[in-house]
Amino acid sequence: MASTIHDKGAGRPVGLRLLDLLEAARELLWPARMAPLTPWLFLLPAVLLTGLLAAGLIPLLDASLRPLDRATFRLAEDYALGNYATLATRPVYGVIALRTLMAGLIVTAATLALAFPYAWMMVRTQHAWLRKLLLVSLFLPFFIGQVVRAYGWLIILGKQGLLNALLDGLGLPPSSLAFTYTAVLIGLVQYMLPFAVLMLAPALTAVPVEVELASASLGARPFATFRHILLPMARPGIVAAGIVVFTLTLTDFAMPEIMGGGGNDFIASAVYDAFFQLGDAGLGAALGIGLTLVGSAVVGVILAFFGLGTLGYVEGREERS
Amino acid sequence: MAQATTAAAEPMVRLERVSKRFGATLAVETASFDLEPGSFLTILGPSGCGKTTLLRMIAGFIRPDGGSIVLNGRPVAADPPWRRSIGMVFQKLALFPHMTAAQNVAYPLKMRGFPRQGMAERVERYLSIVRLGGLGGRRPHELSGGQQQRVAIARALVFEPDLLLLDEPLAALDRKLREDMQLEFRRIQRELGVTTINVTHDQREALVMSDRILVMEGGRIQQAANPVDTYARPANRFVAGFLGVTNFLPGRLASLAEGRAVVEVEGTRLEGLCADPSLAPGAAVAAAVRAERVRIAGTGETAPDESDVEGEVVEVVFEGDRFVYELRMPSLGGIPLRLFDLDPLAHPRHAPGERVTVAWRHRDLMVFPA
Repeated sequence: MASTIHDKGAGRPVGLRLLDLLEAARELLWPARMAPLTPWLFLLPAVLLTGLLAAGLIPLLDASLRPLDRATFRLAEDYALGNYATLATRPVYGVIALRTLMAGLIVTAATLALAFPYAWMMVRTQHAWLRKLLLVSLFLPFFIGQVVRAYGWLIILGKQGLLNALLDGLGLPPSSLAFTYTAVLIGLVQYMLPFAVLMLAPALTAVPVEVELASASLGARPFATFRHILLPMARPGIVAAGIVVFTLTLTDFAMPEIMGGGGNDFIASAVYDAFFQLGDAGLGAALGIGLTLVGSAVVGVILAFFGLGTLGYVEGREERS
Repeated sequence: MAQATTAAAEPMVRLERVSKRFGATLAVETASFDLEPGSFLTILGPSGCGKTTLLRMIAGFIRPDGGSIVLNGRPVAADPPWRRSIGMVFQKLALFPHMTAAQNVAYPLKMRGFPRQGMAERVERYLSIVRLGGLGGRRPHELSGGQQQRVAIARALVFEPDLLLLDEPLAALDRKLREDMQLEFRRIQRELGVTTINVTHDQREALVMSDRILVMEGGRIQQAANPVDTYARPANRFVAGFLGVTNFLPGRLASLAEGRAVVEVEGTRLEGLCADPSLAPGAAVAAAVRAERVRIAGTGETAPDESDVEGEVVEVVFEGDRFVYELRMPSLGGIPLRLFDLDPLAHPRHAPGERVTVAWRHRDLMVFPA
């Protein structure tokens, strides 16, 4: 084939004629006058995917409005609010919802508090080895997966676990953290930390180090610089990380399931139980709709409070000089 | 190493043998100088000479390995930046984008615990000193580059610090604005009488703005003198080459007596001045002459106190206020020589290839150890 490039007998080299052919095919599929639409073409797959997700809510909403007919074990033909009434009247669902929401708030606050200094150190350190160490430690848990990590935590927190061995060695009474709400929260914070750090790091990178130095030279102690300069300037990243951690926690299944020992279910566990234990798809769908509403409402409130610009859509264009 | 002339008054800043090492590199080596209250010092040097490290040690961002820094009579080398009375303007300005100009200027007052009462008036007063009166409500991105500079200056001065540090704040500006701001910095500095240390690699800026210039290279202070002396009497070969356009003629010292030196360059003997009495005949030297001190002379036109050498024009450029000649000097081993003719409208233009006689005064040839 190497000789074909020099083969001028047929006018043009084969390679170029192949390109002509491709060019013609492209013209047929996507004519040049469509060029202005090309950027939108790249948007299409993502729009389709999110659209599909939104469309999926419709059958879910439909199912949630059909209570289970206990005689036939099928969903009713007619719409009724029975499933939502069950959610409202059975106290257990209120407890689960509250427990989930509380976890969302606590885990978000704790994760952001831990992730901020981590991200700051990663961005600001002068030592390449430290930056690498922090990055590797961040990504390592990603390769392990949530379920394995949850079992790992049980090994640490369990009755015969590492924590108790340590406490015993120090002559302290053993703890019984395994299968508690606290254990679930600890597991979730550890799970969320990398997400938060990865979202905070670019926001902190966007804050020039000179701004921190200027603040110090103008008389601000480190905490004042953090509070008056870093926090407001990194706000887009903090809000974005907060939203991601909060919604991920709100919808989490594995951590409460494995580390909660059955007594610390989140909404997702209740959805699972409704579908696969009770066989009540209507109730499960109602729970799912409820979860979606609560999550959207909280994110909506955050965005309304901080403004859409918070995510950097508007302020990101400001000159950060 | 040149020492500052000791002032009668207590110096505002005194550095004694300040050093900093980064790994294997000695960034700043035993830097010492005094700075009188109200004076304007420029630390001048190429990038990597240690000038920024020195400034950051004074500001408190970098801790020196050794030596002492005394600010207004108080040793501060161990103090964090927020406990030093130093205002600083950064190259990237480092304005706070989420605050208005007035809030930026008020920030140091709040951080340093100034009374709330009268704060707004004080902020407004400093904004008008930098000629930004009435613009306090604008955010940094709503201001022009020059206006942002002014906010940064007001913010660094509003708490009346003992010392103002300028970390190349003008380097990023275009030439016209930079020259305007140089004069503006100088005006504000004189008006408020604040002791100032400026860092730059721009020799023109150093000459225009400073009471005193400290030339640094390789972590060492090469010369500390006023602008005229720095330019007219460079302490060594580096300073001679860093300021101005200087021709270096490598040769050997033939004789040296009472500061008058005779240098032999490729068989041609040239007279010059040498401030280094330790040089012995036969030593390798570099004779230096500034481009504007060399002139093109007609045949037999040279004065007795001048050296004259034959040259050939390689290139000539008209820059409006001058001709810039690139010459080749066959009798000096063919080395290149640059010459400024500062009266181009009165003199004929010599074309490339033309042979000319160039001349300079003996006292304009400076002889340094090579």
